[in-house]
Amino acid sequence: MTLPILPTTMVGSYSMPGWLERLKTDYFARRISRHDLDEIHDAAVRSAIKDQEMAGLDMVTDGELRRDNMIDYFVERLPGVQIDRSSKKFYYDFYDSEVIGKIPMAAIGLIDDFRFLLANTERVAKICITGPHSLTKRVRNKHYPSEEALATDIARVMNMELKELVKAGAKYIQIDEPYYSGFPEDINWGVNVLNILVEGVHAKIAVHICYGNRYGKPSWEGSYRYLFPAILNAKVHSLSLEFARRGGEDLDLFREFKVPFELGAGVIDVKDNSVETPDIVAERIRKTLNFVAPEKLYVLPDCGLFHVPRDIAFGKLRAMVEGAKIVRKELGK
Amino acid sequence: MNLHLNYTRKDSAPSSSGDVVATVLTLLEEGYLNAAQFARLEIHLDWLQYKYNFREAVTVMQIGGEAHENLPPMEIRIDSRQVAPGSLRGLVQKAMAAQTPDSEERRGRIYFEDFRPFRRSIVWEFNRLYWQRVKDWEKATGKGYQEALPGGKSDGTDAQAVSDSVEEFWKLLKELDTSNRLPQEIFILEIGVGMGAHAGMWLDRFCTLDQERGTNFYPRLRFLLGDYSLATLEHSRPAVKRHLDLCSFIALDATDPIKTLSFLRHKILHVHSTNMYDNLPDEEVVWRDNRIYWVQSRAYLPAADAARISQLSGVAVADIPAVVDRLLDVGIAALPDRAKGMQFWMETWRAMRIEEQLVDAVDMPDAAFPAGLSTLHMEEILRYAPNDLRFHLSTGALDSFRNTLPLLHPRGYLQVQDIFVTDLQEYSMGFHGPGKLDGSIVNWVNGALLREVAERAGYDLHFTPFQYRPGSKTSVLYTTRRE
Repeated sequence: MTLPILPTTMVGSYSMPGWLERLKTDYFARRISRHDLDEIHDAAVRSAIKDQEMAGLDMVTDGELRRDNMIDYFVERLPGVQIDRSSKKFYYDFYDSEVIGKIPMAAIGLIDDFRFLLANTERVAKICITGPHSLTKRVRNKHYPSEEALATDIARVMNMELKELVKAGAKYIQIDEPYYSGFPEDINWGVNVLNILVEGVHAKIAVHICYGNRYGKPSWEGSYRYLFPAILNAKVHSLSLEFARRGGEDLDLFREFKVPFELGAGVIDVKDNSVETPDIVAERIRKTLNFVAPEKLYVLPDCGLFHVPRDIAFGKLRAMVEGAKIVRKELGK
Repeated sequence: MNLHLNYTRKDSAPSSSGDVVATVLTLLEEGYLNAAQFARLEIHLDWLQYKYNFREAVTVMQIGGEAHENLPPMEIRIDSRQVAPGSLRGLVQKAMAAQTPDSEERRGRIYFEDFRPFRRSIVWEFNRLYWQRVKDWEKATGKGYQEALPGGKSDGTDAQAVSDSVEEFWKLLKELDTSNRLPQEIFILEIGVGMGAHAGMWLDRFCTLDQERGTNFYPRLRFLLGDYSLATLEHSRPAVKRHLDLCSFIALDATDPIKTLSFLRHKILHVHSTNMYDNLPDEEVVWRDNRIYWVQSRAYLPAADAARISQLSGVAVADIPAVVDRLLDVGIAALPDRAKGMQFWMETWRAMRIEEQLVDAVDMPDAAFPAGLSTLHMEEILRYAPNDLRFHLSTGALDSFRNTLPLLHPRGYLQVQDIFVTDLQEYSMGFHGPGKLDGSIVNWVNGALLREVAERAGYDLHFTPFQYRPGSKTSVLYTTRRE
């Protein structure tokens, strides 16, 4: 399946239903079994995929509804990471986790999730994973001489998993690295580690960098200027950045640094529960097109829709799709 | 029968638990209570520390709703402080008799409303009237409103507390500045500004500190004074007159600041309020036998008080509700003689009582919990709480809190000085309002619920005792970002 110009997709997560939150917490309180929770996850993911299709997205994800948060889903799969499973009160809390020895090479088990997505949609599928820099920031390092060394080994393990995902049919992979914005001083080694992660991975790779969306609020503020020029060395195809909430001032950086990447532009504010109109979305896309050629632009929300109520999330995706249609028409496409 | 002793003071309770048991047993023997009622009777002994409050010495409350149509469980609440020796039996009988809608006791009362959630009661209109026309009250009593506070002044204007608050904020600015993350405009919001005293002291101190340290943050401050009363905002101007260039005066609903200030979403570095949460409309719920009950209330004047007020003011008893409506609208000009208008206001307020009934939450599917809470969430919170617990929902405070958080910059924090219950268990060990403080309502805030809501919204809440005034009941709530 080919993508149209200005393809629309999600950043990753879809609205987390309240009933699923309670059931996830019930699982941690040992009130329901793992088997039951897995079945519940399957049903929720199917529903999230269906919503994306009905909203008209060109590229869909599994909505990340199996994940408690963007960190734990990976940390608990990484070999060699010790987890205190009593450290959660609410499913969304982060585990306390630490590394006390060298991380061994082993599979981390994302393939089944991706196969489930492929089996449940005929749209173009994308899988999103949290990058090594962000994971390193949430794991207590008791072994490696530096954060970069830990992140490098995490990247090696995950690189193997990405290659397996490509074998399973993954053509679009998104790496989430929001913690770059919290630790801009790490950007040089962060990009080095990102390159280790994607080395030899034959898929279209995007890196998503926002200002955080934990609890539906930003974790940091600032300007994307900190990314430059280091990010220009990243061996990725696309940058996914948030512009709807923050405004488009940083788009100038694309012109200033002659950025070679495609851009996934955030045109939906995920921290505001009012639904944008298609016209607003279209205007945001037009503004972006002043800096990026249409064939290099993807249309996305600022970040995941995890914290947005389901009806609003759906409305926002619909508006995004309709807004993209307006601009496509203007472009004669 | 269950007897709950809801206080831990030992001094001079006129009505001991022994008196209560003996009285109830006598009423049972004499047929005033039947065996089934006795078996399900809940008696609560309280100690109301507020001289003026909304309670009779003894009140009887029955549980309404379909599940209890045949034999509603009965609850008797006794304010030990108000019961004179030897009077308990008569008071209980009178309160029980008042349960019948056409009882003589009820017929003489002047009701101001139907049963409703307490947050919608007319008493909150009186509270609003007080803050809008506090000058009239102060003139009549010859005392400033702060003199009614414990300690005679607001904890919000303690010089050392203000200085420490400024120091803490300055450190945050310095840290952000060092990492090139300090916004050009530094927004601060105070909600509920009183006479502007806290804001004035805070700005004075910040200006001095900034000059001493040469950081030049002061000119970048944007200090927002927010209050629902335009009159209050106007009164606060003189207190910040040295800093007017940095100040904005904004009329806003304290329960929904984001509605007015949405343009500052994620931009405010510090939000402060003192004694504001305890003055926002509230209601109570009861957790009993794994069920949630809403407490509904209706305000009234006892017959004797209505007659007395009629005589003092020259308003016929039957006309009192209409004059009250006018009072709430135009203040003491409701009566041709302003002095009598003032007297009418004060006496009516002091005499005002609340009747209550419990309604099973399943019978009120449309009754909503405040922002950030759901019935299931509440049941989760109460899973390990003591049975038969009556507590504040702190509706207005929760709404205010939840609707302030989106304003906070990622490194911003909220600081609230108020009277907080920080653990649900405390509700079984003391009365926490509502009471009357001069013409306003004093009501503790359920910090335990605030903490639960905060955690779901990405913040940890901390409560520290107000250390600057010995004996102060005030705590300082502040938020830290939850990872």
